[in-house]
Amino acid sequence: MSDTYAPPASATVLAIETSTASLAAAVVRDGETLGSVQSFAERNHSVLIVPEIQALLKECGVSPDSLGAIAVGQGPGSYTGVRIAVSVGKTLAWAWGKTLLGVSSLEALALGAWRTYKENAGGSIAGPVWLVPVMDARRGQVYTARFLADASGRWERLDADGIRLAAEWAEQLRTEAAAGMGPAPAILAAGEIGPQLEAAFGAGNETGPAIRLVPHAMEAVSVAELAAERLRRGERDEIHAFVPNYTQLAEAEAKLLAARARGD
Amino acid sequence: MGGTQTPGARDYHLLAIETSCDETSAAVVRNGREVLANLVSSQIDTHRQFGGVVPEIASRKHVESITVILEEALRKSGIGLADVDAVAVTQGPGLVGALLVGVVAAKSLAMALDVPLIGTHHIAGHIYANRLVGEIHYPALALVVSGGHTELVLLESEGRFRIIGRTRDDAVGEAYDKVARALHFPYPGGPHVDRLAAEAEGEIELPRAWLEPESYDFSFSGLKSAVLAEINRSRMKGETVNFASLARGFQESVIDVVTGKAMRAAAEFGVRQVLLCGGVAANRGLRERLSRLCGEAGVPLLVPPLSLCTDNAAMIAAAADLKWRRGEFSPLDLKADPQMPLEAWSVASE
Ligand SMILES: [Zn+2]
Repeated sequence: MSDTYAPPASATVLAIETSTASLAAAVVRDGETLGSVQSFAERNHSVLIVPEIQALLKECGVSPDSLGAIAVGQGPGSYTGVRIAVSVGKTLAWAWGKTLLGVSSLEALALGAWRTYKENAGGSIAGPVWLVPVMDARRGQVYTARFLADASGRWERLDADGIRLAAEWAEQLRTEAAAGMGPAPAILAAGEIGPQLEAAFGAGNETGPAIRLVPHAMEAVSVAELAAERLRRGERDEIHAFVPNYTQLAEAEAKLLAARARGD
Repeated sequence: MGGTQTPGARDYHLLAIETSCDETSAAVVRNGREVLANLVSSQIDTHRQFGGVVPEIASRKHVESITVILEEALRKSGIGLADVDAVAVTQGPGLVGALLVGVVAAKSLAMALDVPLIGTHHIAGHIYANRLVGEIHYPALALVVSGGHTELVLLESEGRFRIIGRTRDDAVGEAYDKVARALHFPYPGGPHVDRLAAEAEGEIELPRAWLEPESYDFSFSGLKSAVLAEINRSRMKGETVNFASLARGFQESVIDVVTGKAMRAAAEFGVRQVLLCGGVAANRGLRERLSRLCGEAGVPLLVPPLSLCTDNAAMIAAAADLKWRRGEFSPLDLKADPQMPLEAWSVASE
């Protein structure tokens, strides 16, 4: 849920992201990164997050008063992980009376991968590119979405955040890339790519359009960038109503609904 | 003496958060004793449809409620965020995912307000809920009975905990809920069993698990099995089961053992007070028996009102006050501890 208001001319954004194995936080002012941290202490996000933020703000010389907004990677991702960033973000925004902005963790992942890819490619990006962020959601599934980008600075969402079977999703991407009109897009699957995702996305590369795997760790600057965009549009989220985007029901809920649908 | 305000001393306010199971709670307590606000958002209606607490859903609900309940507690207390002197939070024991939400929110708040953080033991909270209603005289014996706990805790002095007995299997509240299910009551069924037992005309005699003669430990799984066996036996013979008599038999067995051990401990350790704590303290049968036995033994019994017996944040503030007055604070890298030991949480200084 969000509302709109007159956007500020300039804002310092504190961004936090804990939906993946990477604990990330950054302070960004008008596109300039004042400081950032990224650590990979999995299962310790809840322990480290607050001291990391405290140290980061101090290191950047940013006082709570001078913060304009708090940006949070809202998921999807690890259930426990997204709850940590969301709980921290809500509480800080409430206690300090700051604007709260949630962004898609998948979009932040894709945007970060795209930035890195562009830097590495130099000026040699020809046609359109599909950025497909992927996070392992176990049992052959991924949290994923699809974004369209090109060298002209275009950035467009093609698919909503969701959970999908990795193998089916890879197959769909290839089929659609081959069937489209005009030049086939390059497909970049970005994220923390383990052997299972490698197998799912690599199989079939010989026959159809190739999916390139781009290992990429979540960065909070991308969260800040997306939040700054929302801020420019005059958006903000309602602090009390702010919750993670899990993209799926809790298992017990799903079972209960299924049982009710069967008439048990 | 601990907690008494010297004249002219400044008032202090602890803001406490409790999210160890299925209640999201925030409280503001002044000077360690005076409850200005104690808000509890219960998830019971959600979990009832699953027949028990679903940890993932509990965690999700805590995130939904946390800032709402904080704001409501603050508003009701009449103080502002700038008046908060420390933030207390349940560090454990409890469901890890549920604890995490409260712990992370409390740490964020302590950082945001630049005040000390006090990680607090949930059972110490149940015990010190008594200090919100009366003065505790040491040595004291606490009987902690809840859905997750059954413990006899000796307090030789303020803030020093020694567990002398604990359950070896089910907690009392857990046994009540399981028996309630066998008697076809909806979750949570403990209060139904208590009521049914009170209404019963007869009693089906069930065994008492006294364990070793010297032991203060408890065991309720055998008793629960005996209830199930009795239901089966009647069914096999085609008889209708007298649920009321069975509930009475179960309740009498539990109360005999629990109060019997508590009174033996009270005598052995020469305590000056018995404290009844935890959600099962609402059980009428248990309260009445313990009250009678304490009266006969000449040991005063303290029981908090029901709103302070079930999980709530005011009790967490009451326990955190022990550490506040001694300047024993927690670092911001405090970790939720689902198995947190009570004795180790004792205050460091007298
Ligand atoms: Zn409890």
